[in-house]
Amino acid sequence: MATSTYLSNPGVLVNAVSMTDQCTSATVTNTAEALESTAFGGTSRVFVSGLFNQEITLDLYMSYAASETYATLAALVGTTTTVKVSNTVAGLATPSATEPCFTLTGAYLETLPVINASMGELSTISITFKGGVLTTAVS
Amino acid sequence: MKYKILSPRVGTPGDKYEPEAGVNVEALLLHGFIVEDTAPPKSAKTITNEPKD
Repeated sequence: MATSTYLSNPGVLVNAVSMTDQCTSATVTNTAEALESTAFGGTSRVFVSGLFNQEITLDLYMSYAASETYATLAALVGTTTTVKVSNTVAGLATPSATEPCFTLTGAYLETLPVINASMGELSTISITFKGGVLTTAVS
Repeated sequence: MKYKILSPRVGTPGDKYEPEAGVNVEALLLHGFIVEDTAPPKSAKTITNEPKD
């Protein structure tokens, strides 16, 4: 059963800069790496939790205007920063149980597509912030 | 170091900006989202109550 439909509500902050009006997709992934601990005598594979490995992937319209996408991201390549995503814009500032704010602190931006040009299409880019510590604020 | 907001994408322009943990302040300065607030503090006024001649 579908539980969430996103039209225009989600909010995105990259390095404290609002990218909400340039973003078309945001995925926050919380991963606990699986370490196999199956031993002799076992009949099924068994896993325990290893390191956490977080990712936030954003699809953005590319703009080279002042204070837009390129200006926000260009200086972040090869550095770490803080990225916030909430299912509502209000949740970024005042999170609640129904408007949680997911914050990835120490998120590393490895790659930035600096140009993605196709005839007759709006330029878009997809970026992924890796690593860091994910916290969820609900109040 | 004190900072002032220039871009509405960060907050209200002119307001004081206090970076949260993990924010890359150099990147914000480099592309003009914020600026160092170098306004000198107001000097104290000295009020004298000496009678005029």
